[in-house]
Amino acid sequence: MRQSDLSASLIAVCIVVAQFAIGQEMQTGGQGGAQQQTPYSSMTPEQRAAATRAFLGLGAEPDKAAAERGAPLFKQNCAYCHGRQARGATGPNLITSDVVLGDDHGEHLLPFLKAGRPEKDMPSFATTPENQLKDIAEFLHLQVEEVANRGAYQVLNILVGNATRGRVYVASHCMACHTSESFAHIGTKFRSPEQLQRGWIWPTRSGDDALAAHATVRTPEGVAFSGRVTQVSDFRITLADQTSQTHVIDRVPGVDVQVSDPLAAHQKLIMALRNEDMHNVTAYLETLK
Amino acid sequence: MRAALPLCAAVTLVALAATAQNVAPLPPQISVDPQAIGKAPISNWLTFNGDYSGQRYSALTQIDSTNVSQLAQQWVFKIKEVGAQRGAPVPTIKCTPLLVEGVLYMTIPDHVWALNARTGEELWRYDWVDHGGHLVGQRGVGIWKSTVYFLTPDNWLVALNADNGRELWRKNYADARKQYFSTSAPLVIKNHVIVGVGGDAMDMPGFLDSFDPVTGALQWTWWSTPRRGDPALKTWPNEAASDHGGGMTWMPGTYDPALNLLYWPTGNTNPVFAGQGRPGANLWTEAIVALDLDTGKLKWYFQVSPHDTHDFDNTTAPILFDRVVHGKPRHLLAQAARNGFFVTLDRVTGKYLVVKPYVPLDYSSGLSPLGEPIPIPDKDPTVGGSINIVNASNWPAPAYNPKTGLVYVNSVEGKAIYYLTDDSAKPSGYGGTGDSIGHVQRVLQAIDPLTGTAVWKHAYPNLNNAPTTVGPSILTTASNLLMTGDDQKNAIIYSADKGAVLWHHELGSNESGGVITYLLDGKQYIVFGAGDSLYAWSLPQ
Repeated sequence: MRQSDLSASLIAVCIVVAQFAIGQEMQTGGQGGAQQQTPYSSMTPEQRAAATRAFLGLGAEPDKAAAERGAPLFKQNCAYCHGRQARGATGPNLITSDVVLGDDHGEHLLPFLKAGRPEKDMPSFATTPENQLKDIAEFLHLQVEEVANRGAYQVLNILVGNATRGRVYVASHCMACHTSESFAHIGTKFRSPEQLQRGWIWPTRSGDDALAAHATVRTPEGVAFSGRVTQVSDFRITLADQTSQTHVIDRVPGVDVQVSDPLAAHQKLIMALRNEDMHNVTAYLETLK
Repeated sequence: MRAALPLCAAVTLVALAATAQNVAPLPPQISVDPQAIGKAPISNWLTFNGDYSGQRYSALTQIDSTNVSQLAQQWVFKIKEVGAQRGAPVPTIKCTPLLVEGVLYMTIPDHVWALNARTGEELWRYDWVDHGGHLVGQRGVGIWKSTVYFLTPDNWLVALNADNGRELWRKNYADARKQYFSTSAPLVIKNHVIVGVGGDAMDMPGFLDSFDPVTGALQWTWWSTPRRGDPALKTWPNEAASDHGGGMTWMPGTYDPALNLLYWPTGNTNPVFAGQGRPGANLWTEAIVALDLDTGKLKWYFQVSPHDTHDFDNTTAPILFDRVVHGKPRHLLAQAARNGFFVTLDRVTGKYLVVKPYVPLDYSSGLSPLGEPIPIPDKDPTVGGSINIVNASNWPAPAYNPKTGLVYVNSVEGKAIYYLTDDSAKPSGYGGTGDSIGHVQRVLQAIDPLTGTAVWKHAYPNLNNAPTTVGPSILTTASNLLMTGDDQKNAIIYSADKGAVLWHHELGSNESGGVITYLLDGKQYIVFGAGDSLYAWSLPQ
């Protein structure tokens, strides 16, 4: 797996391209930074993919249109030996191969494909038109991208639970705090079943005062403050009271802090929730349109 | 294949030469005695962990509980010349600086600084132009005689003149196009520069390299997964899976001079979350391995997470210490593993004394006869989602204090939903995702390594979840101080025996690198990175 002298000289060609791509990212302020500041759940799939691509320092971006043209060509000419996704069958896995990973846009793959590897029964594709070989190269690069860029990953169909059992779970576990009103039309309130699954297990606090942590703080002088906690550490607590006035209180000796968290029951649920119950409840809530 | 010359370093050299002609201070004449490396740090800090034990313990007592309230900031060095790096809007210091003869060596990805430890002034800077790699962090340099060793994101070992930052040689040890990248600090022992590597976006095998400190010639390579003919291959379905099985050597290991053994933690298995294509225990990923320093040959292993499917990357330092157990002196090793288990082993044999959860977890049905946690298959990532713990620890350094006999770790308690996004028979890459759900709480723990039980805990109050890739490291001293920080920009000093808060100070950012302490001109300093700034504290005068 170590870089040979041959591949070192091949890489020298590619570095010019990589350096250009990195420079562009730096000029746009570092997209990876956006990844850290914006929660993944708030990003579009395209933003996730772009941010992760920049963050990981992935190489040249595959040409998706060319890859689409290359897909049937790969299936027809290569998949029998190398597998449908080029992950290997009777022939080797191509997405982890030195030749593929050392190539940006066919500059190494095209000569390789034209020559073939007769000693390993890999035929020559010398008679295949060059534009088709380029499309096959882009198809391979897209297969690599779909593996290496985890920001482009998509969850599959997560609705694997039993809705009837989910309804029973909700009836027996949730109604001490909730009413059926809590769940009305909940299946329409999220972008995807995955968001629904996250959302019922751990509701988003922001913008919902009823879900915010509240605290009462008493100073040694007997002054009391109550309000929504905006942040708390060992040394300070910040509250917003009913008039939205902010109080910053240093937690010096004698200051008493009592915090109540309306999501405490959900945290307890999370620490003990079984996978089957999670799937069943999500399947049930998804039916509440 | 040559990168641009380090122009800034060259310019600095000219400036230094000019200074030397006009003013009294000469350029530093650094010369580290190789015999001194790995000894207990007093007036220097010569390795990532200070010595080879990984204890991050200082015998210094000038700063203690009676005067800690007088601690005063001596200087701050703020990185100004480096802008946003890929993945970080502002540069973040995640290194443990080295201190040698009044010079501090500090890094971020692609950059090395030498600073005057008395003033925080820059002596020289070395800039690398990377061609790929992941800039998520840089843990620091290694040093030997007059040479500083630095690892670049795109996997070059660069040797620099310690006095002026001039490049002596460079050596490429892994291909960034295969998604190998480097964040580690080289560990220098005798005539070996030990270099680990990272990268798990593609399915590549991990390895550990040993290089000659003078020439950069490769001395040996140890692969994290078995090759053809090795009996350990039976823990993989086939040779191809092992050849692409991961097990990166992300972080510096530890070393026992008497046994001449390196102790290295190995990282997550590949494919990361999708384990269906690699049935078996998948040796030697997710393990602590003991390697002969001079040959790189495996002496023993203990696999902390057999067949991992949760990115339980076993990166946390294995700390070496000696104790009397049932009347017998024992040479031990302890690790607060990222999979939530606290592990204490006999470091001569690799046999376990303690394997016990130190965070709330329910993914294991018990221990194998060898002491390995047995995972419950239902807790593996699935298409519908599977709840399991978040990483209970990560790369930020833990510590051990021989006076209290306790191991200290900033642990993380909480859960995540893990989805399988690739349910094919031949998954590749990560093959899944894991996002935390609910509140994720950082808890400082003082754990008795002979029982695996916490003697005290301190949960840091915070409305926000503990960040995933940045966290405070730990240092303790003979004067019963424990130095660390929270996730709200506070540097905090606790009593090591009881966990009482003795001192705190709000910084510009969260502590983000290793905390070190040393005696310079008779004064004990505490130095640490927080965001883009390196801070130096001591008592007044």
